[in-house]
Amino acid sequence: MLSRVADTLWWMSRFVERAEGVTRIVQVHRDSDLETEFSQGAAEYWNSALIALYAQNEFEVGKFKDPGSFIIFSPQWIGSVINCVNAARENARMVRDQLSEEIWVELNNLYHFLNSEDAHSNFATEESKFYARIIRFSLIFQGLSDATIHQDEGWRFMTLGKYLERADLTSRVLDTLTLLGSEPTRLDLIRALRSCSAFSAFKKKYRGALTLSNVADLLLFSEDFPRSLRFSLRCIDSQLHEISAVPSGSFTNEAERLSGRALAHMNFSDINSMISQGLHESIDEIQKLLIAVGQSIFETYVLLPSEINSTTPLQKLQSQMQQQ
Amino acid sequence: MAQNLHTVDAVAINRFKDYSNTGFFDEMFGTGFVAQDHYQQINSRLSQIGDSELETKQQQVASSFLEHGVTFTVYGETEGTERIFPFDLIPRIIPSDEWHEIEQGLVQRIIALNLFLNDIYKDSKIIKDGVIPREVVESSPHYRAEMVGFNVPKDIYIHICGSDLIRDEKGRYLVLEDNARCPSGVSYLLENREIMKKAFPRTYREMSVCPVEAYPDLLLKTLEYLSPRNSGKPVCVLLTPGVYNSAYFEHTYLARQMGIEIVEGKDLITIEDFLFMRTTHGLVQVDVIYRRLDDNFLDPSFFKNDSLLGVSGLMNCYLKGNVSLANGIGTGVADDKVTYAYVPEMIRYYLAQEPILEQVPTYLCWREDDRKFVLENLQDLVIKPANESGGYGMLIGSSSSRKEREEFSDRIKKSPRDYIAQPIVSLSRHPTFCDGSIEGRHVDLRPFVLYGDDIEIVPGGLTRVALQKDSLVVNSSQGGGSKDTWVLKG
Amino acid sequence: MRLYVLHKTHYSYPSPVRNSCNELRLSPLSNDWQKCITCFVSVFPTTKTRQYLDLNGNLVHYFEIPEDHSHLTIESRSTTTTSKRVDFGNFPYGVPMRSLKEVESSPEARPYLQSSHFVDITPEIWRQAVEIQGDSKDVFQTAYQIMEFVYLNYEYCVSTTSVDTHVSEVLKKRKGVCQDFAHAVIALCRCLGIPARYVSGYFYDSSRDQIMRGGGASHAWVEVLVNGHGWFGLDPTNNRVVDETYVLIGSGRDYRDVAPVTGNYFGKLPDKMEVSVNVRRID
Repeated sequence: MLSRVADTLWWMSRFVERAEGVTRIVQVHRDSDLETEFSQGAAEYWNSALIALYAQNEFEVGKFKDPGSFIIFSPQWIGSVINCVNAARENARMVRDQLSEEIWVELNNLYHFLNSEDAHSNFATEESKFYARIIRFSLIFQGLSDATIHQDEGWRFMTLGKYLERADLTSRVLDTLTLLGSEPTRLDLIRALRSCSAFSAFKKKYRGALTLSNVADLLLFSEDFPRSLRFSLRCIDSQLHEISAVPSGSFTNEAERLSGRALAHMNFSDINSMISQGLHESIDEIQKLLIAVGQSIFETYVLLPSEINSTTPLQKLQSQMQQQ
Repeated sequence: MAQNLHTVDAVAINRFKDYSNTGFFDEMFGTGFVAQDHYQQINSRLSQIGDSELETKQQQVASSFLEHGVTFTVYGETEGTERIFPFDLIPRIIPSDEWHEIEQGLVQRIIALNLFLNDIYKDSKIIKDGVIPREVVESSPHYRAEMVGFNVPKDIYIHICGSDLIRDEKGRYLVLEDNARCPSGVSYLLENREIMKKAFPRTYREMSVCPVEAYPDLLLKTLEYLSPRNSGKPVCVLLTPGVYNSAYFEHTYLARQMGIEIVEGKDLITIEDFLFMRTTHGLVQVDVIYRRLDDNFLDPSFFKNDSLLGVSGLMNCYLKGNVSLANGIGTGVADDKVTYAYVPEMIRYYLAQEPILEQVPTYLCWREDDRKFVLENLQDLVIKPANESGGYGMLIGSSSSRKEREEFSDRIKKSPRDYIAQPIVSLSRHPTFCDGSIEGRHVDLRPFVLYGDDIEIVPGGLTRVALQKDSLVVNSSQGGGSKDTWVLKG
Repeated sequence: MRLYVLHKTHYSYPSPVRNSCNELRLSPLSNDWQKCITCFVSVFPTTKTRQYLDLNGNLVHYFEIPEDHSHLTIESRSTTTTSKRVDFGNFPYGVPMRSLKEVESSPEARPYLQSSHFVDITPEIWRQAVEIQGDSKDVFQTAYQIMEFVYLNYEYCVSTTSVDTHVSEVLKKRKGVCQDFAHAVIALCRCLGIPARYVSGYFYDSSRDQIMRGGGASHAWVEVLVNGHGWFGLDPTNNRVVDETYVLIGSGRDYRDVAPVTGNYFGKLPDKMEVSVNVRRID
């Protein structure tokens, strides 16, 4: 398929996943507000969320007073939910011919809703429904992606984008716990789990043993929880091998080599060694790896070999891609 | 005052009791008071629907267009506003014999225009024989001297043509202009039909309307026919200026319907006069480009500009015969409004027969006698720039101010080649749903002609309607809307 | 029936030719059974075309290309409506062979009773004709038997004959294409005094698997004059009485009068000639 199309599908899928993940973070934090006085630490956990999302500076200089509505609606901050949805829709518009009518209609409807007056009034009056609408959209989007289009190369790039974004989000949520400044409380741990939609999964596996080590173990190393880093990396690795038709365990390009290395890192490490190394530092390292995987996918499948090292056309092309 | 004599029963609503068709040819009532035969069924259907139901249907249609992203982009106001193309629920109906005549006329016309282009870029016999002055051809801004002597694939320059037809006060069809570069609007034709089938399923079935759904297949067949490679399945792509182009929806729509890639200039690369697209599995050779880009944007190095939309080296691939373009390069001469005046002569010259479709009499301002006449009669004429599309830069004499006329008169004197004038034709009107009641609005018709192995026209075309009262301008960029066009089976 | 015909002819010459003058008989006739709605004839390299009606009433397009050129493409697109021509339950039987004497000298029949360029009247052919006639005393019956005889006993095969093959050769070899079949029937009919003319045109193959012979090309058949009933079409290639699926371009004494494309030029013979005919029913 066209390289640009693959790239666009990948970004579309990333933005949808990001909109869902970020919305869930806001939703969970707002729920926490009900049980926490602002003076008793609410400011702190919002702050750590903003840091983990790289949104702290924009929030401080912006007009929004409330971090929740800032994360949802800020036109300035590129990672706001509304910007993610707009970007996803813009990408989708470019590759409409690849999408099913159902996928397009869902995405287009959410886009029109978020950009209408209704969105703000709905957010003010029926906040929980508002979050549910965005999250449900993402889930429908994933279902439709699996059920209404060919599971061909384009779908694989969408899947790659989804899991790379998901791995990134999960690592950021976990990072909020290391950014609190004090030992995470029970409420903090629950908030992190719920932000990854992992609370029930956690209860099932660890019963009541709510410790940072157990939470991190689930979010990083679970083999079968679909938002854990290990699970996401396994999906990324297998999709990359499906695309190149090279058996898993070997590699023919940089993207496969890096994803294989990241997966091996998760397969052959454990929570204790990570905690002793420093959880924040370990997460940072994983995030760097994820960025490198993303970049190498771009270089492998979107750029021509001659463009990877020649600076001018590469930068031009790339900057156009990132603007989407 | 038209009176509806065809109400089906006592409770039926007479929707046309205040309807006026004086002074115009009305598609439904002609010049009389009774709905013409081919409009009877729609007429009776309309009289069965309540006001609110009609209103609801109209709103559903609008939201369905928005939901499906059937939109175009308007420039000038804020940065790229997405709009739906307003749609009117009352279909325009054309009886089969009337359509057959239009169809024949259009086929004749595209053959003549194509022969003309082949001629002027080769031996120029029509010029040498004194039928068309050389300066008319060579002064056209869309004339491409680079094409002289080049053999276009299969002798076809115009593969896709959208000719605009209007009807005068007697109901005669006249050709108003030919769009031989990148005519757009066909996606609305196809989407309108889908919407109408849902809105009026029973009436649609009862009236046995010719389907239009074959268009994308016919277009693909047309493109594949041009392939320079004889073996294998040709690789055809649609080249778009990008997501910010006003017709981007149409580009993705057609690409999806044909199952071909939609590409931007940056997806393409030329290597030793062959064209390739960049894919995730390396470069793939391209055979045919359906380009939705004007000539001079296609290749920045050939046309010496800094267009970011095109592909450097594309023209060399084309001139070497390694890739085909639809439409060809230089077709703009054929839809120049000065050339238009000579189309009847072309038909007589190349085909040895009379034109089937008439056209609007045209005064060419570069001819001294014509110019004198035009300048003296500005208030009774429409003045059009010879090479603008989208209804921009026109003067409608009867509704212009003295100042505007003086302005145009100066412009005409300064560059007479750039202007033509035509008598004001009062376009036919069609019943249209406007703010809760039905009123007459001016319409035109743009059929789409495909020229490949054979010449094909899907029955009907896009009926464009000027939604503002008394407006004669139907262009989407100027507040026009559209209707579905039903050609009845014969 | 509304029939659309697209007929393309393409010549490639091994080296450029010039001063090409051509006549085209590609435009369907309008007569009692068919009406030609439109016919567009286009020529590449582009040139001015003109037209006239020939002695047989056929419409002829003609043109010249003085310049050097190495390809010549001629395209004809026509739309014709045809109407029911014969009643298959009621053929014009009952006109006796002996009544043929009466038409012998009429101007309508005379040219079609004599020898022409490709068709001879010889004692040998006459003997064969008499044999096929057997004891038939009816004009239509006899003509029908001749058509059937040719259909059943001649082999249909492409490229064993050329456009210049004379009927005497066809009768000897008993093989050929529609043009040869038609010439054979004409010769046999004329020997018995049945006026017979050569018709060129197209037919629409409505059979399910398009199994009829001569589709995808220009076709030829025969018309015979049945005194008092007019001309009847017989298609010996397909053993059919001509009905509304046939479109007539023109008729004449033999192929020479109605050849679709004829002309002359300075230069070598074409090394490639491609002809395609596509007949489509449109309603």
